[in-house]
Amino acid sequence: MAITQFVVNGLLVGALFAAVAVGFALIWGVVDIINLAHGEMVMLGGYTAYWLLSIATGTAEGSVLLFLATIPVVVAVLFVVGYALQRTLVSRVIGTDIFLTLLVTFGISIAIQQLAIQAWTANPRSIQVAFADPSLTAAGLVIPKMKLVAFVGAIILTAILYLFLQRTRTGRAIRAVSQNPEAAALVGIDVAHTRAITFGISSAVAGGAGAFIATILNIEPQMGLIYTLKSFVIVVFGGVGSIPGALTGGLLLGTVEELTAGLVSSRWTLAVSFTLLIVLLVVKPKGLFGTEANE
Amino acid sequence: MSTESDDGLLRSVVPPAWVDQLFARCQTHGWTLILISAVVGALPPVFGLREGYVMTVLSEMFLFAILALSWDIVGGQTGYPSFGNMAFFGIGAYTTAILVKDAAIAFPIAILGAAIAVLIFAAINGLIVLRLRGHYFAIATLGILLAVQQVTRNLAIAGGASGKILFDVPPGVVFYYFFLVVLVVEIAVIYYLTQTRFGFILNAIRDDEGKATAMGFNTTYYKTAAWMLAALFTGLAGSAYGLFNTFIDPQTAYNGAWNVELIAMALMGGTGTVAGPVIGAFGLHTVIEYVETAFVGWQLVLLGAAVIVTVIGFPKGVVGTIREYANEMDYYERGGMAAADSEEPEVTTDE
Repeated sequence: MAITQFVVNGLLVGALFAAVAVGFALIWGVVDIINLAHGEMVMLGGYTAYWLLSIATGTAEGSVLLFLATIPVVVAVLFVVGYALQRTLVSRVIGTDIFLTLLVTFGISIAIQQLAIQAWTANPRSIQVAFADPSLTAAGLVIPKMKLVAFVGAIILTAILYLFLQRTRTGRAIRAVSQNPEAAALVGIDVAHTRAITFGISSAVAGGAGAFIATILNIEPQMGLIYTLKSFVIVVFGGVGSIPGALTGGLLLGTVEELTAGLVSSRWTLAVSFTLLIVLLVVKPKGLFGTEANE
Repeated sequence: MSTESDDGLLRSVVPPAWVDQLFARCQTHGWTLILISAVVGALPPVFGLREGYVMTVLSEMFLFAILALSWDIVGGQTGYPSFGNMAFFGIGAYTTAILVKDAAIAFPIAILGAAIAVLIFAAINGLIVLRLRGHYFAIATLGILLAVQQVTRNLAIAGGASGKILFDVPPGVVFYYFFLVVLVVEIAVIYYLTQTRFGFILNAIRDDEGKATAMGFNTTYYKTAAWMLAALFTGLAGSAYGLFNTFIDPQTAYNGAWNVELIAMALMGGTGTVAGPVIGAFGLHTVIEYVETAFVGWQLVLLGAAVIVTVIGFPKGVVGTIREYANEMDYYERGGMAAADSEEPEVTTDE
């Protein structure tokens, strides 16, 4: 019974990891950059929601509806941040050495993280969402309502991203740039703009996920790198550019982490995640879903 | 960079030919230069500077030069940019700390033990990560760094998250000389290697690993050898650092920010050169040390900004940029083709 509970907890958290990872996978697939500052977008999203709620209520507490009302703002803010980062900094290293692209995003990551410490201190914070009855009980399983809301929110964010890429004109442009930038430019797509849009929406989805993370876990300025690496684990597992792959990977990683925390100790969850990363890289560097599922 | 080569004034004051000659001189008198630097480095304590702030800062500069140069053996010379070199540092630091504190082993022998531990770790680690390239290699090394950090945090003998405090450590001057000697030995070893077949094969692996393999070189052997050499020096630096600092915890011993710092140093000085990483380490550490005292807490913001500016602005670093300037003479001496060969391809951006 306990194991079922751990699995359920894992799936609930895993959807958030997946929502973070899809953006990471999208940038990797379309712009061909490993964005080591992706975790910082999660962090900034969490803080944006936190401060919006603090301004609205005076404390970082509020009802579900009030919290959900901050999400569109968070998404918009992080879109602008991502778009600007790509346009001003990252675009300058596209097409150079892979190492330089990694280093520039690492530099961005450190700068954002440290500025956040200066601005908001290094203390962990969290958003308290008030419920009359905080958990549901079904078939012996305890499901906190906020985790359920976060789960649904993460799935919706991922689904919107998927539909956006599949159904809209901009989404098709993004997929075209991912497949062949030169050909995309030839048919009249503004490649630089499309890449920046990609960065923007990836950051926006990560930021939205960050807001949900702030309600069920903690946020702190130095949380970013862990989320970046988790995204990497998930993407390597699911295959670069595959949204269904990333979703599966995220749910699985969440489950593995919760099982480790429940059966061994929560101190070992990160060690297990990072070891999983190394094992995956060595055993299955192309991902389980390969590149056929490329979006 | 084009801004400098277009600058007529600079060229008339310091002709590229002079700079080229300077490089040639440095090349022919390399061993003398290393010897002079070593003697100059050894002097301050002789003239009474035996403790205090300046002493500590100088020791740290040597320490970072060791780290940056070690990174460059694999990252710059062999083309495998690692984001996890601090794993060697941390393992060196922790092995020494445990041997000295829990097993009561004398400091010099403990360092020897740490070196062996680091080499064993590097051999296993290298077998795994050196099979990967590009993004995968970089992230795998970063993953190993964080995994080792997490494991250390959970080990009782390593003191857990609160770390280990070390008492009865040797005086600062011992570490000054230790770091200096390790640095000089490392510079000498790398300088020697760059003139041997071994060094050329490392560069061949960096430039085109497939061709290097096709030429019949066992690239795995050379990569692993370079990797273990880098690990040895990084581990030695780490093993002394624990005692030098009198305290280590998982956060400082496996410091991810330092890992970026030492890459930045190598990059700013000029990767793939002997002098570059050392120049970069001395320069950047001086600046960071100044910012750390003048604007407490802002040094890492500066580091992030410095990394971005270096990568975008002059990725060849100080030595690389100056050498490019010097090579302008190639155009006149050997004709257009030679100059075209030495020129890097234009950086393509989509903006």
